[in-house]
Amino acid sequence: MTQTSMTSISKHALPETKDQVHRVLIGKKQILVTEEEPLLVQLERAGIHIEYQCREGYCSSCSVKLLWGHVSYPFEPLAWVQSGYMLACCAIVKSDIEIAFFD
Amino acid sequence: MSYSTFNRKHFDSTKEPMFFGENVNVARYDQQKHPIFEKLIEKQLSFFWRPEEVDLSTDRKDFQRLEEHEQHIFLSNLKYQTLLDSVQGRSPNVALLPIVSLPELETWIETWSFSETIHSRSYTHIIRNIVNDPTKIFDDIVTNEEITKRADSVSKYYDRLIEMVSIYNTMGMGTFNIPGKGDIEISMPKLKKALYLTVASVNVLEAVRFYVSFACSFGFAERTLMEGNAKIIKLIARDEALHLTGTQHMLNLMASGKDDPEMAIIAEECKEEMRNIFVEAAEQEKDWATYLFKDGSMIGLNAQILGQYVEYITNVRMQAVGLETYFPTKHNPIPWINAWLVSDNVQVAPQEAEISSYLVGQTDNSLDDSDFDDFDL
Ligand code: FES
Ligand SMILES: [Fe+2]
Ligand SMILES: [Fe+2]
Repeated sequence: MTQTSMTSISKHALPETKDQVHRVLIGKKQILVTEEEPLLVQLERAGIHIEYQCREGYCSSCSVKLLWGHVSYPFEPLAWVQSGYMLACCAIVKSDIEIAFFD
Repeated sequence: MSYSTFNRKHFDSTKEPMFFGENVNVARYDQQKHPIFEKLIEKQLSFFWRPEEVDLSTDRKDFQRLEEHEQHIFLSNLKYQTLLDSVQGRSPNVALLPIVSLPELETWIETWSFSETIHSRSYTHIIRNIVNDPTKIFDDIVTNEEITKRADSVSKYYDRLIEMVSIYNTMGMGTFNIPGKGDIEISMPKLKKALYLTVASVNVLEAVRFYVSFACSFGFAERTLMEGNAKIIKLIARDEALHLTGTQHMLNLMASGKDDPEMAIIAEECKEEMRNIFVEAAEQEKDWATYLFKDGSMIGLNAQILGQYVEYITNVRMQAVGLETYFPTKHNPIPWINAWLVSDNVQVAPQEAEISSYLVGQTDNSLDDSDFDDFDL
C-alpha cells in the first residue's frame, strides 16, 4: 500500500457518529470517551497515564490488552499489533470496551 | 549454494520467504510480499537528520561544570552507545544481506543500518565538543571491562550467524570441522535458528539496551544541562523506536508461520532462549546502572530507579513479541521520560504531520483543482 492510499483512508474514515460516547472499563475504573480522538489522550485527560513513546503508531509502547469491544485505526499503524491488543495512541474506540495493562 | 549479487533465475519474489530463499535480483518495490518494510523505509527517510545541525556550544560549558561523578555517567553512556551503534551500523548488512530474499526487506535493512551510521557520527560530534582528546574516550571502549562484557553479548549472535552463513555459502550443508572451533553443523533448521536468535538479540539491543543511557541524557536535560546532547538523543531514540518495530515485525512474522512455515516451528523452539536473551540483557543493564552511579547519583535518578525502569521497559518489549512479562515492575518509575521520547512531529499541526511522512519531492495525488486556486497561471 502506498502513502497516498494511507492518507486517503484517514480522510474517508471520518466517522459520522463523532459525538457518540463509549465506556472504557479499566479494572474497577470506568471512563467515558468519544470517537473524536484516540484513546490515549482521552485517558490522560481523565488522569490515567499509560506508557507511550511515539504517539504515532510506530513504536508499540502504548500497546494495551483489549479484553472485549471494538476499536478502529484511522490509519494503519506501522507497529505490529498483537492479537487481543490495541495501540492506545492511535486507536479510536468504536463501542464500549474493556482494557487491561500487564498480566 | 553461494551468494550472487545478481541472481539470474526467474522467480516471483513475492512467493519467497523473508530469508533463506532466492538471493534478491531486481530491486523493485512495485509488488511487495510484506509492504510494512517499504513503509518503514519511508518513515526512516522522513526522519533524516544530521548531527552537525545540532548546536552543542552550551554543552561544552555545561560539561565542564558537571561534577566528576556526573562526567563519568555522561561519558560512560556515550561510550556504551558508541559500541552499540558501531555494531548496528554494520551488522544488519553483513549478517542479513547475504540471506535476505525480499527486495523491500533488503532495502529496509540497508536503510536501517545507514541510520545507525548517523548515530555513530553524532557521538563523534558530541565527544569532540566536550573533550580535547577523543582518542582517550574511544580507546576505552575496547578496554573498559564494563563495556566489553556487553560487547560480547551484543555481537555473539551476529557473529555466529555470519560464520554459519559463510560456511553454508562455501561448503553447503553438512558438518564441518573448523580449526579452533570444532565441528559446526550446517543445516537449514540450524541456520534458521541462528537467524531467529540474532533478530531476537538485535530486538533486545534496540528495545532495551539503549534506555538507561537515554534516561540519563534526559535526566541531565531536565536540569537544563547538556541540552544539545539531549536533542541528539531524542533524534536517536526516534530512530530506535522505528528499528525496534522493524525487528518486532520480523520476529512476529516468523513466529506466525505466514512467511515461512518452518520458521514458526523454530520460533516456538526458541521461545525460552529468546526470553533468556531479554532477561540477561535486562540484568546487564541493571548492573550497568550500578556501575554508572558507583561514585554518586544524579538528581532524580539512581541505580535502583533505573533498574526498575529497565525491568519495566523489558516487560513492555517482551509483551510486544508475544512473550509473557518477566519482571514484577508494572509501572514506569520515571514517567517524565516519555515526554522526551515522544516524536517532535506530533506537536505540529495535523496537516503538517501528514506531509512530514512523505518522501521529499513525492507528489500528492489527492490534490484537486481547488488546491491550485491561489496560483496565477
Ligand atoms: S505510542 Fe508509539 S505506537 Fe503508540
Ligand atoms: Fe542506533
Ligand atoms: Fe537502531
